[in-house]
Amino acid sequence: MKTDILKDLPVDFKSVRNTRLIFSCLLLVVAIFLILDVFLGSVNIKASEVIRAIFNNTNSNFETIILKFRLPKAITALTVGVALSLSGLQMQTVFRNPMAGPYVLGISSGASLGVAFVILGFSSSIAPDSLKGLGNWILVAASWIGAGAVMLLIMIISSKVKDIMTILILGIMLASGISAIVTIMQYFSNETMLKAYVIWTMGSLGNLTSSQLNVLLISVSAGVILSLFSSKMLNALLLGENYASSIGLNVRFARVVIFICTSILAGSVTAFCGPIGFIGIAVPHIVRILFKTSDHKVLIPGTILMGGSVMLISDIISQLPGSESVLPVNAVTSLIGIPVVIWVILRNRKYSGPF
Amino acid sequence: MKMNTKEILSLDSLKIGYVSGKNENVLLPPLTASANNGELIAVIGRNGIGKSTLLRTLTGLQQPLGGEIFYNGKNIRDYSRMELAQRVGYISTEIVKVSNMRVYDLVALGRFPYTNWIGKIEMNDNEVILDALKKTSMEPFIRKFVSELSDGERQKSMIARILAQDTSIMIMDEPTAFLDIAGKYEIFHLMHMLSNQSDKTIIFSTHDLQMAISQSDKIWLILDNRLIEGAPEDLMIAGAFDNLFDSATVLFNSEDGTFSFRSDTKGSIYIEGEGNRRHWTEKAVNRAGFTVSKGKTIPYVIIPSGNNNCWQLSCQSYVRDCSSLYELISCLNREVIRPI
Repeated sequence: MKTDILKDLPVDFKSVRNTRLIFSCLLLVVAIFLILDVFLGSVNIKASEVIRAIFNNTNSNFETIILKFRLPKAITALTVGVALSLSGLQMQTVFRNPMAGPYVLGISSGASLGVAFVILGFSSSIAPDSLKGLGNWILVAASWIGAGAVMLLIMIISSKVKDIMTILILGIMLASGISAIVTIMQYFSNETMLKAYVIWTMGSLGNLTSSQLNVLLISVSAGVILSLFSSKMLNALLLGENYASSIGLNVRFARVVIFICTSILAGSVTAFCGPIGFIGIAVPHIVRILFKTSDHKVLIPGTILMGGSVMLISDIISQLPGSESVLPVNAVTSLIGIPVVIWVILRNRKYSGPF
Repeated sequence: MKMNTKEILSLDSLKIGYVSGKNENVLLPPLTASANNGELIAVIGRNGIGKSTLLRTLTGLQQPLGGEIFYNGKNIRDYSRMELAQRVGYISTEIVKVSNMRVYDLVALGRFPYTNWIGKIEMNDNEVILDALKKTSMEPFIRKFVSELSDGERQKSMIARILAQDTSIMIMDEPTAFLDIAGKYEIFHLMHMLSNQSDKTIIFSTHDLQMAISQSDKIWLILDNRLIEGAPEDLMIAGAFDNLFDSATVLFNSEDGTFSFRSDTKGSIYIEGEGNRRHWTEKAVNRAGFTVSKGKTIPYVIIPSGNNNCWQLSCQSYVRDCSSLYELISCLNREVIRPI
């Protein structure tokens, strides 16, 4: 897939070789982090033991840890990173706003409202612990709807208000409003529901059941495929609605496709792993700096690889390898993402462009 | 290299404006006009009269509120977005600010209606893009970022973008608005060349009346009650521009299409001498609020000739030698202002 995308670059550019090199490096980095994430953890397991656990049937405790816990968690981390970063990239282009991302604009909050409705509202019939099979799909669909509703609201606001910072503040207001609604729902819910919900909000990559991981993988794959189809539309939208329309883009159709894609990506992740902040906003900027391009044929695969690596390294750090304690992954992603966001804000003050 | 002329665009009682809620806000009375291939057409009218709305409607970004637009005899409503994009290109006054976008990428976006689902640039697309860059002399900037360009260079790459879009009609909303004089001339020259040599029909709005009159093949003059179309000279003869600016302070000079400030004359002065110096002396005297008289009167100015660099101002009672026009004007203001 990677070479196909590279073939699409303009033929006359020397930078093709550069781009190819960066892609190779990123692929390598993802592979290394994926392996490290499996090898490192709170329990010290020798490398040889890890390899034996993966390839031989040892039936040891180590095998349980590696195959039932670490490997699914690493795959989850990779998927989450890809999904959040891609949705961030798409939102930044559609809103023409460098500060757009699923977390800061309240999309994740919207998704959590959907989740809250399921967990706090109906859990007497489908308790979160018994959420299996169809239940997982209900949870994820509620999350998509919540995310989509907030996206729509932000879009309407963006068409009226052009100032980036105003939209950002409105996004924060929206998120606060939603969390107020959730608080009210919490107040009226019973103890078990409440506990299930609070645990969910803490955000975790390791609590997914295998059926949940399946649902996540299927939804995110669908989102990634859709995003590849949207790369031409995203490129046109860089110029703004009028120009995009004048070069032949059906802007309304493009928006709907990209909205659905973003809601699926951000919503699925939020449904199972809780709100994870600042990955979606920060990764696309890192990718733009790295590739020095605005072409989504390069940015989308770049964001997929970079998002995966950043989330994997966050996961590795959150486990504090060798020690007993584990940090919430949300805290780690914030610490990685916030400096990038601050840098973007400061740079924007200087150049005052949409990106 | 103009080919056979044929009508490429016609407006039939077109009503333009905005719909807000249930109210239709029609900006102008129905417009009827036409454009042939290879014509450079200037759209002129006062601020806020609806030039931009007209251009947006022609590009299909906005629905007409009534009447019809025909491209090559086919109604604009019967074109798909993609088909229209292959016939009509558009540049608005909006400044494109995208970081990390190279000039090549910007121009390549013009190929949007022709590329496949992922937007792959094929060899022939690449050739069209390079050709567009060449025509706009933007080749040296191909690898530069759009954010690093000057206003003029950015405008030229936007023009290269619609060249790459390969449309027979280019619509530009105030293409010279942000440019300095040199940039303005360069863009006008480019537009003139494209309409003449590449047979593009260019419809642009401008406030630069003098440039529009001297460069364009046709003018669509939008007044409050109608649209007048015709060659600039036809409109000049008909005195169409006289009502354009009904301002008490601005005077339209229908001989050369220039504007001047209407000011009460302070008197008349006779100027003796010829050539370039005479031309600028007249300008300076006019600026100071005097008219130039045809027959010899007092006061009069003798323009220096040859190496002599001394303007001689003669009034009834005295003669002054001035070493520059600046000094001459100061003298006029100081001394001549009362007597006549």
